[in-house]
Amino acid sequence: MTTPTSTKPDTRPAAAAAPGRSAPRRWAPGAGVLVAVALLMFVPAATDSFYTFVATRMLLLGLLATAFNAVFGFGGMSSLGHAAFFGIGGYAVGIGVTRWDWSPGTVLAAALAAGALAGAVFGLACLRVRGIYLLLLTLALAQALFGLAFYQTEWTGGDNGIPNIPRDGLPAAVREGDGYYRLTLVVVVLCVALLWMYQRSPLGMSVVGTRESESRMSAAGYRPGALRTVAFAVSGAFSAVAGVLEVYLQGSVSTASMSWQISADVLVYAILGGARHFFGPFLGAVAVTGLEVWVSTYTDRWMTVLGVVYVVTALFLADGVLGRAASLLRLARTKSGAGSGTSAEART
Amino acid sequence: MLTWLTHTVNGLAYGSLLFLVASGLTITFGLLRTVNLAHGAFYLLGGYLAYDLASDGTDYWIALALAVLAAAAMGTVVQRAFLHYVAGRELPQIVLTLGIAYIIGDQILANYGGDPVAPQTPPGLEGPVTIGDWTFPKFRLVMIGVAIAVAVFAGALLRFTPTGAKVRAAVDDEEIARAVGIRVPLIFLLVFGFGTGLAAFAGVWGGAFTSLSPDSGFDMLLLALIVVVVGGLGSIGGALLAAFAVGLIDQYGKVWFPEWALFTLYASVAALLAVRPRGLFGKAVTR
Repeated sequence: MTTPTSTKPDTRPAAAAAPGRSAPRRWAPGAGVLVAVALLMFVPAATDSFYTFVATRMLLLGLLATAFNAVFGFGGMSSLGHAAFFGIGGYAVGIGVTRWDWSPGTVLAAALAAGALAGAVFGLACLRVRGIYLLLLTLALAQALFGLAFYQTEWTGGDNGIPNIPRDGLPAAVREGDGYYRLTLVVVVLCVALLWMYQRSPLGMSVVGTRESESRMSAAGYRPGALRTVAFAVSGAFSAVAGVLEVYLQGSVSTASMSWQISADVLVYAILGGARHFFGPFLGAVAVTGLEVWVSTYTDRWMTVLGVVYVVTALFLADGVLGRAASLLRLARTKSGAGSGTSAEART
Repeated sequence: MLTWLTHTVNGLAYGSLLFLVASGLTITFGLLRTVNLAHGAFYLLGGYLAYDLASDGTDYWIALALAVLAAAAMGTVVQRAFLHYVAGRELPQIVLTLGIAYIIGDQILANYGGDPVAPQTPPGLEGPVTIGDWTFPKFRLVMIGVAIAVAVFAGALLRFTPTGAKVRAAVDDEEIARAVGIRVPLIFLLVFGFGTGLAAFAGVWGGAFTSLSPDSGFDMLLLALIVVVVGGLGSIGGALLAAFAVGLIDQYGKVWFPEWALFTLYASVAALLAVRPRGLFGKAVTR
């Protein structure tokens, strides 16, 4: 069984709720997140429209990476097919709005449902495979959907996609630029919060359990196959939401939203940021997107730089940036703990 | 009737191209269990190098040999300098080789542009063959023969030669192979270079078959991955059969129901993998 990083059990979510912590420490992270979100509301005021566009993309790709990690980091299944869910969300906007004049609410509901359904199908198909086979099977499934998007020209516009998708359904205040950024921020924060709650719920924790040991979980009466399917469905639904946000932002949808490079990118976001940490993939998405904008001001050869990022990630950052930071922190604590003689916290 | 013969032979010829690409992958991925997603990039590298040399006036066959050797050398460098450090860990291998594929692909884009180029058909293989009422491009027929020859050659190399025995020993039980004096890292290095060289050869001929563009590397990679996995990891005969099957499905799919072309191909592969992960002729997964 391939797991993305070390095989040491992750106890972080449980530790956050552990008794014996003083009240301020328990509330500090939540308050910090609230302050950060409030500050993020003012990003458009501080920058021009281009950087607001970039920030919007960072948010929605961060959501995609966080949703992906429900399968990858927490489910222990390396999917290379998440572009399918992203694209499903995108085509839900394109087809729903241009054909049937759907409202954004209907689009969102349809995308959630279609993403969850596709996720469940992926999860069911992957019941018998692990490791590299799971990776290739998800890739094949995503490519099959890509084939539909490419050749069912009557529905999808083929390679050209569906251009000029109107945003008329959105309220005027959040239709363009700054307003749309704020809408994205709200939706992303909401979705990430829901994913956080899911991950800490008994359901999410038992998915982590199947990652650690399938045989023990099934001996304890859980059904690993059902849990894996649920993980895929949850992940697919929220990945589709990211696709919806992307297409409303771009105003068009094409096969690029389904291309397998998106699946590869999101995998690298997760590894680079730290797949064992809830916010690691989000961080990875923000970092790579930011790097792309920064590098592109100097050179056209962004793909070469991205390739170097991939290589460096594979060779040196298998646990991700957050994983590195956490182990450094642990090391520092162990040292100071040994000095003052309190070994309780240095146990890990 | 003759149209159907043409479609069938076309499918077989395309399958032969897929097998040529996949043969290198069967060896690196199927035998060494090194996931090399840069295989498509080596395909491109070979194709573009030979194209560049041949259009500068180098003799076609010398250009072909140089391109294959260069790609093989580059493959060994990549193996020793990078892949060696992530041996046995699939996920880093995937990310690493994808990164290398991005770098090579982007450099090709920078040097040759994004428009497809059409390398020449190997000299002596131009023009059609006529058998009775039926005419068919000679190059495509030869392609089928070459694919079968490569399959037989690679299979015999692995099965009947001392080197092949060492490779199989190194793959089956690395520790014991080392203990009896087989230089496993060197074997892996050479075999990996052989695999990338095969990719480059496929690139030179595949370029003449379908034309070359920086994007085609990944298309070929995906199809070759399918062929290797459907045939069963490490099974050369399985890969050849799978390649012909994929070529025929692709060809007939395009003729019968063009709107479902890619979908039928990938969906049938996904269905096969879902119920039989080890592919048609693979060994049972022992993990």
